[in-house]
Amino acid sequence: MTLTRREFLRRLGAFAGAWAGLSQLGEPVLRFLRARQIRWPWYRPEEIRVTYNYCDMCMWRCGMRVYSVNGRVVKVEGNPKDPKSRGRLCGRGQAAVAHLYDPDRLRKPLIRTGERGTWSFREATWEEALDRAAEALARLRDQYGPESVAWFAHTTGDFWFGDYLPLAFGSPNVGKPSTGLCLTPREIAAQITFGRGVGGHEPVDWENTRYIVLIGNHIGENAHNTVMQDFARALARGAKLVVVDPRYSTAAMKAHRWLPIKPGTDTALLLAWMNVLITEGLYDREYIEKYTIGFERLAEHIQPFTPEWAAPITELPAEVIREVAREMAAHRPRAVVPPGRHVVWYGNDTQRMRALFILNVLLGNIGRPGGFYIPRAPALDPYPHPPFPVEVAAGGCGAAAAGLKIPDTPGHPPRADGVGSKFATGPVVIQELIEPMITGQPYPIRGLVVYGVNLFHSIPNVPRTIEALKRLEFVLAIDVLPQEHLAWADIILPEATFLERYDELWVASHRTPYIALREPAVEPLPDTRPGWWIARELGMRLGLADYFAWSDIEEYLNTRLMSVGLSLEKLREAEGIFTWSGKPYLEDYGEGETPFPTPSGKIEIYSEALARAGFDPLPVYEPVEEPPPGYFRLLYGRHPLHTFGKTQNNPWLAEVYPENEVWINEEAAAALGLKTGDRVILENQDGVRSGPVRVRATPRIRKDAVYLVHGFGHRGSRLSRAEGRGASDNMLITRYRLDPISGGAGMRVNFVRLIREV
Amino acid sequence: MARLAMLIDLSRCLGCQACVIACKAGREIPPGERWIEIREVVVGRFPELRGAFVPHRCFHCAEAACVQVCPTRALYKKDGFTVVDFERCTGCGYCAEVCPFGVPRIMDGRVSKCASCLDLVQMGWEPWCVQTCPAGALQCGPREEILTEARTRVAALRDRYPNAQIYGETQMGGLGVILILTEPPEVLGLPPQPQMPPLALWKGGAQPLSLGALVLSVITSGIAFFIARRRHLEENGARKGSEPITPASETRKE
Repeated sequence: MTLTRREFLRRLGAFAGAWAGLSQLGEPVLRFLRARQIRWPWYRPEEIRVTYNYCDMCMWRCGMRVYSVNGRVVKVEGNPKDPKSRGRLCGRGQAAVAHLYDPDRLRKPLIRTGERGTWSFREATWEEALDRAAEALARLRDQYGPESVAWFAHTTGDFWFGDYLPLAFGSPNVGKPSTGLCLTPREIAAQITFGRGVGGHEPVDWENTRYIVLIGNHIGENAHNTVMQDFARALARGAKLVVVDPRYSTAAMKAHRWLPIKPGTDTALLLAWMNVLITEGLYDREYIEKYTIGFERLAEHIQPFTPEWAAPITELPAEVIREVAREMAAHRPRAVVPPGRHVVWYGNDTQRMRALFILNVLLGNIGRPGGFYIPRAPALDPYPHPPFPVEVAAGGCGAAAAGLKIPDTPGHPPRADGVGSKFATGPVVIQELIEPMITGQPYPIRGLVVYGVNLFHSIPNVPRTIEALKRLEFVLAIDVLPQEHLAWADIILPEATFLERYDELWVASHRTPYIALREPAVEPLPDTRPGWWIARELGMRLGLADYFAWSDIEEYLNTRLMSVGLSLEKLREAEGIFTWSGKPYLEDYGEGETPFPTPSGKIEIYSEALARAGFDPLPVYEPVEEPPPGYFRLLYGRHPLHTFGKTQNNPWLAEVYPENEVWINEEAAAALGLKTGDRVILENQDGVRSGPVRVRATPRIRKDAVYLVHGFGHRGSRLSRAEGRGASDNMLITRYRLDPISGGAGMRVNFVRLIREV
Repeated sequence: MARLAMLIDLSRCLGCQACVIACKAGREIPPGERWIEIREVVVGRFPELRGAFVPHRCFHCAEAACVQVCPTRALYKKDGFTVVDFERCTGCGYCAEVCPFGVPRIMDGRVSKCASCLDLVQMGWEPWCVQTCPAGALQCGPREEILTEARTRVAALRDRYPNAQIYGETQMGGLGVILILTEPPEVLGLPPQPQMPPLALWKGGAQPLSLGALVLSVITSGIAFFIARRRHLEENGARKGSEPITPASETRKE
């Protein structure tokens, strides 16, 4: 091939550009990239500086010790004092160093110069970028009201952009993916039943349990550190395990029984188990009498739901259903059916979660050893600030509106997500804030601030999201990595990673309430800034100085810590963690003191509140739509080395698990003439197609479903490792069924067919 | 230090691969290279399946083929582990050739395999993989204690896993990594009786022999040279009458 002059110059230019880009990365990144030398022996202890942090590689927030040598982070480890990590970390946590030194990181504030979605940006100074962003936000606020700006936030810095700044700004439209796209139905079901949410860390008393039933709960693939630790130890102590899942998951590999249930029929199974417990008199009578109301109605309601009724629905043998119920009962109260996470499946999820909770109640395990403990949160005062103009309605994983009442702020417009019309209650659901951006109903959302949420890998119906992005007047993105949705922003602000910044304290509701410190291990990479600093600078420019009365973050943290007699210094001396004692069991609560703050002060098996709102007061099973011939139900889940759509570019994690595969039953694959390693395109019921993805023909999944690991298939990003690798489940989730109670987006209602790539 | 060993309990492993990344991070292993790999093994037909996560990593054989064949002694045994001196390794690849488990690789002109975390153990820490394992599937300690623990665990596991067994007690002279298996080794892709490959045996025997032959030939040629030189000098001396050279100065010259 001859090299033309033009081509030569082009290549030379590309090379020079790459070289200039590399040389701008800074010494620590370059050293990370060039590392060729095995570190053996390791550093001498006197060379190492230890700082404390809580992990941000997923949202679990494990306490970590960060080891730095000469201004470079060389290793992180679990903090032995931390109640979550207990000195251990998962693979993602271990890869925090590679996140910090990812050469693809955003390095300069960027201002859009061309069409949205085309990655046309110019570099700008912080001064200019902040001024312009604040100006745009102020204009929308002054012209259309603060509610015209939506705020989407996730990851552990979301306090600043999902809680504090938007509330000071005055917008009720603050969405986190952890609600409507994950936990909302579970939290609302728990609120209704127990008067309290489950909380971010499921309070399963693994230590004392003897019998575990997991339903679609992927422990091991879902690598929440503490849960893996507790689960493995529970099994090692001899606890029995039943796994209900259409797929032979990691957890199923460890199970005594695997029940390959037909997808979408879990509520039928739960009802049948209740039927056996009640009709055979195996439930905890004393507990039901003392702590609950509405049992008689349940006993009546449950009559028709025999194992024989459930068997053809679930495609599980009636005898097995009966046996498992009896085994559960034999181990009660040390038998537990954990609620799991990401419960937005079929749009009837609040009712399914209610069924699951009531089953646990029949086992008498709430607040009892071997069942669920009762978590408590430390009581730290907030930094003093003027009252927010709007109520805190967004909430994170754990927060939910009490009962079925939505907090209203008089004099302020209601939320735009359709609560009260599309669905009944709960925190703001992020996916319902997209519609108002397009239709202007109930009122237009014209601006968006997006922090750490990948819009195209978390919110279903991507074409709709793109349509909304086209219409918005202003989009501000704050992120660490050049994820694809950033191409649609007007201004991009590059944040420092969690290892380079202070942050809000982690105030954990737990068996033992505790707080954890995040402090910088090293200086931020040049021209990246901590989230708290960005929020404060924007706040000052938006005329919200009263909310940012502190001059720096250390003063902010010290003031909060003072309310519990601590300081940054003392928290550091305590190795980054401070723990209080909890009240985990019912016996820790005195007479007249209830851990169940429902209207009745008891566990509400029958819910008057639901009945009044026009919903089934006791859970019922409703069939879900079946895949049409030739199509499979699209299921999705996690890989232990990846978190959502945010870690696929991590140099170490991408090396070990660079792309996902589509799991399909080996017989179903053979019928299609497909075998492991073949490349296919997935096409969903709406004709939307994925990128090419490899087939994994396996006996580990039912014939009616296929499975993808979530978070892959990045298209249009500037992520050099993740771009174009694998297929995106979220791109194929063009429809969802809204849970009419909680507003959760049931996403397992999409069907795909496999087309061989030619 | 006593003979050490690691314990890997497959009944506990959840396949999360924290060990893989902890190892890569702690040892600062360059891109493209890993010392631990976790293999997912599932056998049976839907819905009667069994499975486990099987580590593929250096098992630190007591009679280590790689150590036998290493021409530069970059690989050597210490406290039960097969340690690597990366400075000495020339990347010849003999170790990769002979390992009955197919573990070592040649990367970047040198061997790539677990060098153990003996440096950390000596500091009173644990190997990176052991330290981080969320499932608590890994341990490190004196080999005798590890074996005792393994026996206790296997006995307790028989109920749940009828095929539970210890692997590595005797293989290759006793492995430095004791595995608790939930299935027979052949099901999990492990050789039930790994053998010292002929090449290693040959090298093991041939190397000392050839070294002996080398030394012998050096000595004989030295003697031959000495005799020849003396005769040569004598002839020269007779011709020119110059002073004979002392043996000491002769050695210096060489």
